[in-house]
Amino acid sequence: MRERSIRWLPDTIVVRAVMILAGALIAISLVGYWVYRVGAEGLATTARDKGLAERIVSIKRAVGAIPDEIERDKAAHALATASLEVHWSKVSLVLGNAPVTERSRAMEDRLKELVPEFGAESFRVGYADDGALNAGEGDAYKHMLLVSVRLEDGSWLNFASPTFGTAHHMAGNILAIAAIVGSLIILIAILLLRWVTRPLRDLAVAAERFSLDEARDPVSENGPAEVRRAAKAFNTMGERVRRLVSERTMALAAVSHDLRTPITRLRLRSEMLDDEPTRNLIDDDLSEMELMINSTLEYLSVGSTKEPSKAFDLATMIRTIVDGEADRGQPITLKGIEHAPVLGKPVAMKRAMWNIIGNALKYGSATTIHIKREGPQVLFEVLDDGPGIPDAEFEKVFEPFYRIESSRSRQTGGTGLGLTIAKSIIVEHGGTISLHNRQRGGLRVSVRLPVKPAETAMPGSGKREDASTRQDHRNMRF
Amino acid sequence: METEIASPPNDHGNILVVDDDSEIRLLVTKFLQRHGYHVHSAGEADALQETLKRFTIDAIILDVMLPGTSGIEACRRIRQTSAVPIILLTARSEEDIRISGLEGGADDYVTKPFSPRELLARLRSVLRRSRGGDPNSSARTQNHILFDGWVLDTSRRELNTPDRILIDLSTGEYNLLVAFLEHANRVLSREMLMELAKTRTSDPFDRTIDVQISRLRRKLENTENAGQIIKTVRGAGYVFVPKVSFG
Repeated sequence: MRERSIRWLPDTIVVRAVMILAGALIAISLVGYWVYRVGAEGLATTARDKGLAERIVSIKRAVGAIPDEIERDKAAHALATASLEVHWSKVSLVLGNAPVTERSRAMEDRLKELVPEFGAESFRVGYADDGALNAGEGDAYKHMLLVSVRLEDGSWLNFASPTFGTAHHMAGNILAIAAIVGSLIILIAILLLRWVTRPLRDLAVAAERFSLDEARDPVSENGPAEVRRAAKAFNTMGERVRRLVSERTMALAAVSHDLRTPITRLRLRSEMLDDEPTRNLIDDDLSEMELMINSTLEYLSVGSTKEPSKAFDLATMIRTIVDGEADRGQPITLKGIEHAPVLGKPVAMKRAMWNIIGNALKYGSATTIHIKREGPQVLFEVLDDGPGIPDAEFEKVFEPFYRIESSRSRQTGGTGLGLTIAKSIIVEHGGTISLHNRQRGGLRVSVRLPVKPAETAMPGSGKREDASTRQDHRNMRF
Repeated sequence: METEIASPPNDHGNILVVDDDSEIRLLVTKFLQRHGYHVHSAGEADALQETLKRFTIDAIILDVMLPGTSGIEACRRIRQTSAVPIILLTARSEEDIRISGLEGGADDYVTKPFSPRELLARLRSVLRRSRGGDPNSSARTQNHILFDGWVLDTSRRELNTPDRILIDLSTGEYNLLVAFLEHANRVLSREMLMELAKTRTSDPFDRTIDVQISRLRRKLENTENAGQIIKTVRGAGYVFVPKVSFG
């Protein structure tokens, strides 16, 4: 709607900025002009009021000096002008019981301030429309300021002025007002500029959060033309990147997947061989191929598996792995707590644990595992007595397909995906994994995972969902 | 689609192999014939139904990835009329498919690429169970076995504590637990347990039954119920104490 109404101007950041500047300038000019007007008027009024007050004092003295009553009235009339009517009378035009209003008291003080001699005089101030007027005097004085000054003999001199004392005294406030107005304008300008640049910030946030795994809503394409164009370009680019990666991923997954059929055939064919040593060698090669395919598929599917999140016991899971390895004759021991409930994907987590433990078994001659509670976390540590890893490679070993040189030459096999997969799964579960070289040689892998919150221990409570379950919208099957 | 290959005399049983890959069909057929089975094969669900009508089949090896009607659907259809043992062939990562297959009435599964010897072991196991008359068939047709607040989901092979926390079991421990649950409140000797628990595994690394039982106890028991679930009967064996129900 708004965009349509200002279509005659190109809706660019430049135009908007110019409009904001112009608006601020006009506002400043208007306010400045108003401040000037008010100030100047105030000064002029003050001067005029002072003149009137002084005239009141001098007329009172002049009339008070005349003893004859008729002469007094004449003199009063002679001294009157259009801006100040003067009458002499026996009674006060302003009633003695006239209501003392805010306005009349202010005027009284002002008169005293302008002409100090007023202080010595006995006088009454009132406004006709406040009900200060003597009964019967009529509408003539209605909006006027009335001042009655008492003469020495008890008679009164009544003054009425239509223009008296309308201005406010404000010369000292001008700076303060300018400051308030200035900050107001700056505030408005900031708000306007923030409003104009908001789409740009939205775009930046979207770029920061860009993820291959999650098809987020596209950035809304509104705001100034430049931003709209950038948002559109960003959405197109995101879509293209995602499609490209997903095509490659699917190609890799498809190849890995399709290799299963020939491997199955080969397994069956090798079973037909009567030459047992050769058959066993073929089976070993096939197992290795299978391992590579499976870890590639696992790597591709981390974060996109449809496995539901549930509470499971990490300690028994590790115990199962350790018992199995011990039965295979592996030198492995497990110490620590018997139960450690966590929330997550059990199959994925077992894969992660198995990868970490398998890694230790591959490089060390004795593996020790500790599992314990540390506040709101479960700490799971795998210690081996192998060669360890150079500190410089700590980050690299988590990169996909990365293998440290010694591992390559030693023909330990593996795909370089084990720790990558483990880390992805652990991070997906809100945990951390870190590596340390032990003082007396060997590697220590520490995994920390959040303990399942106690309130979800109640049967059937599925309200609290793990964050990872929300990511399940990429339905690729590997 | 049906293939039959002349084979040495075999009386181990009639097996139906269903896979859309003709090479695999042929190879599995040859492999099973070598081990004394009579084998029929089919490439898709319709041929499967046709073969079931024409022959007496003792067990079916069924690939879940079939063209047209899926293996899962085929499995459900078979179950409407027959209790013939079914072994599913699934891909490793297709856990949800595997579960729906087991819930749909399959007896066991083997993941592709499978080792032929493992397939053979599973096949022997399902055949033995179906021929043995299976006095506790309720355990096979019901998906949940309950005891003392615990739930064992046999289609998912998952054990949950009374607090609904999943407890991981090894294959050996799972088989042992199922054996106990199917024979609760009966004293089982080591030999009986070994025989019962071995039916579904060919794991050469199985430790002695005592080690397996102590591991299972460790996972089932805590400080409160220590020694209360599986009791040792001196000189006779073990007994599973809690009341067991199927549902």
